[in-house]
Amino acid sequence: MLIVAREYLTRVKKKSFIILTLLVPLLFAALMVVPVLLATQGREHVNVMVVDDNEIYINNFIEDEKTSFSYRSGDIEQIKKEALAGDYDVVLYFPQSSQKVNANLYYNEEPSMYLRSELESQINNMFFDHVLQDSFHIDLDKYNTIKDLARSEITMIQIGEHGDEKESMAEMNKTIGMICGFIIYFVVLFFSGQVLRGVLEEKNNRIVEVLISSVKPIELLLGKIIGIALVGLTQFLIWVVFTSVILVGVQIAAPEKFLEASGVDTEQVMEAVNNSQLVAGDTMDAGIFAEISNYFPISFTEMILCFLFYFLTGYLMYSALFAAVGSAADNETDSAQLTMPITMPLLLTIVLVMPIADNPNGQLAFWLSMIPLSSPVAMLTRLPSGVPLWELLLSMVLMLLFFVFVVWFAAKVYRTGILMYGKKVSWKEIWKWVRHQ
Amino acid sequence: MNIIEVQNVTKKYSNHLALDNVSLSIRKGIVYGLLGPNGAGKTTLIRILNQITAPDSGTVLFNGNPLSRKDIEKIGYLPEERGLYKKMKVGEEALYLARLKGLSKDEAMERLKYWFIKFEIQNWWNKKVEELSKGMQQKLQFIITVVHRPDFLIMDEPFSGLDPINTNLIRQELMELKRQGTTIIISTHNMASVEEICDEICLINKSHKILDGNLMEIKQQFKENIFSLTLSAEREIPVFPEAFSVLETSTSANQCHYVVKVHEGGNSNQLLKFVMDYGNVLEFNEILPSMNDIFIQQVEKYNSESKIQNP
Repeated sequence: MLIVAREYLTRVKKKSFIILTLLVPLLFAALMVVPVLLATQGREHVNVMVVDDNEIYINNFIEDEKTSFSYRSGDIEQIKKEALAGDYDVVLYFPQSSQKVNANLYYNEEPSMYLRSELESQINNMFFDHVLQDSFHIDLDKYNTIKDLARSEITMIQIGEHGDEKESMAEMNKTIGMICGFIIYFVVLFFSGQVLRGVLEEKNNRIVEVLISSVKPIELLLGKIIGIALVGLTQFLIWVVFTSVILVGVQIAAPEKFLEASGVDTEQVMEAVNNSQLVAGDTMDAGIFAEISNYFPISFTEMILCFLFYFLTGYLMYSALFAAVGSAADNETDSAQLTMPITMPLLLTIVLVMPIADNPNGQLAFWLSMIPLSSPVAMLTRLPSGVPLWELLLSMVLMLLFFVFVVWFAAKVYRTGILMYGKKVSWKEIWKWVRHQ
Repeated sequence: MNIIEVQNVTKKYSNHLALDNVSLSIRKGIVYGLLGPNGAGKTTLIRILNQITAPDSGTVLFNGNPLSRKDIEKIGYLPEERGLYKKMKVGEEALYLARLKGLSKDEAMERLKYWFIKFEIQNWWNKKVEELSKGMQQKLQFIITVVHRPDFLIMDEPFSGLDPINTNLIRQELMELKRQGTTIIISTHNMASVEEICDEICLINKSHKILDGNLMEIKQQFKENIFSLTLSAEREIPVFPEAFSVLETSTSANQCHYVVKVHEGGNSNQLLKFVMDYGNVLEFNEILPSMNDIFIQQVEKYNSESKIQNP
């Protein structure tokens, strides 16, 4: 207990921990909020000079408080020069053309994305009003009917075990799967790397001899692993809470802008909520839910539970292995050599994340998600696309069994390795320690 | 009453024998010197006493009972390679290590305060360990070793790396602990300190015990009847009788100094009688072999014998 507390407290009190813990949610939130804010609030007043050789759009643009339009005709080269040198920010030019609308936008400083989409939508509207109606005598309704007829679409519908049908968002699932795979990869390696460094530190400054004259090596090992696991969970919890708080805060502060500008209309969000079969929805703020469920089309709680399971078991497994390696090595260079065979499966899985996400129920994905060394990443990548329950359970059981074996193995190696100095240890040598006694 | 009884302990590592059937006993309340060349098996023995490793065969008794996990609270250990967490604060680290030895927080706090004041390092409580000088770290390490008031102290090279002042300080503290009844085992290569503080010794070489017992008795056992004498004399002694041979002479300011070996058949009184005729005896005493000499002699003897047995 004492060891757990020390491992936990020394790390949590570190400046780097506090900074990282506070910074990551900010970064994460910033990553989601800032582009939105930039797109909406970053708008400045824009003066648009419109030159239309076809004379369709003259005087037809609708102004708002941030955008004003002026119209001229004549030599575009001439106007362009004058306008941009003068008060105008952009020049919109429609060259002589009878059919397709093809406009050029000239500018010195790049205008906002918003301006471009605003102009495009106005042009499209005017196209209906003027070109279609005037030139082809097609009204808007007719046009829409034709357009709908001409567009073909495939809707992905997954049939669940109980025959329930669910509209699937394959692309979305793939992306989320890959993101989850990457996250677990980094998190597992990051925290078990800390265990490795902790063991090396104790070995290098020789305090380990004092420690194991007071406690059993296995107690020291488990204390360290559990302490760091708690650090990880604390950090994770703070991240989740903080990020949600910030996002919800932003949403409450400027709800319409946020949803509108992030390209998600409210209807879609509501739909996503319904689709995702959320259970605990009543107790939580619908705002967070709408937000989060938008990114997790499979059951959000399930996903989090699986993530925690694979994080914990993956971390415990790798940290035990790393501790064994750390105890056998004398310095970080040596340890890097010894960790290679351990991290290989994980690295390989990360490289294969794309194919796994592409074909989440293929042979490759199946076997990688069964092998304990690679299953945290592989399974997390597959999960959003839906994994049969028995596969998930089998993978979890294998994981737990392997974990028990790894701890047994690590304890043996650790006990011997931690007192060995000045000797370069090979895997063969380590195997000898395990068989000894 | 013996605090430690090591009985026929053998420990084998994968490629060599570290201890071969070693037995020894340590009486309560003494300072016991564990001597031996590098790689003799001292550290292995110490680790067995600390329960860091277990012997392959043989037993260790602590206060008459087999050594068990609960005894670690009664044992203090200062390893040869000193080590502390460099990034931790001095006070926190001391508290942590004291509590690992089973002290409650308040108890540990109180005792640490006592030692910090005694060693005059109370100002360092909130500093980081890496800011301490080497001597300071040694003091801290010593405090950590003794803070839980162990009955049995194991000190591996306690004086290495210490300046004369700190060496003296630690020696005094060890003597004080001995007075309070603590049994102390010291493993060292520093023979001078062995002679100064050890009551009994044990010499280990090549995983075997080759010698143990009371320090004075061992010295007596290995004495070679060599005497040192000083005369106030006008002239040097020209010729010594056959029973004596002179190993060293020196003359200065009307004093003659001799180191004389008395051969078998002769004795010290005969020597004294003989020299009395040449002047006033100012000083006459027996030179006992130093531990250093005994150490070298015994180890070399053992090594050459074992070479003959296993060529």
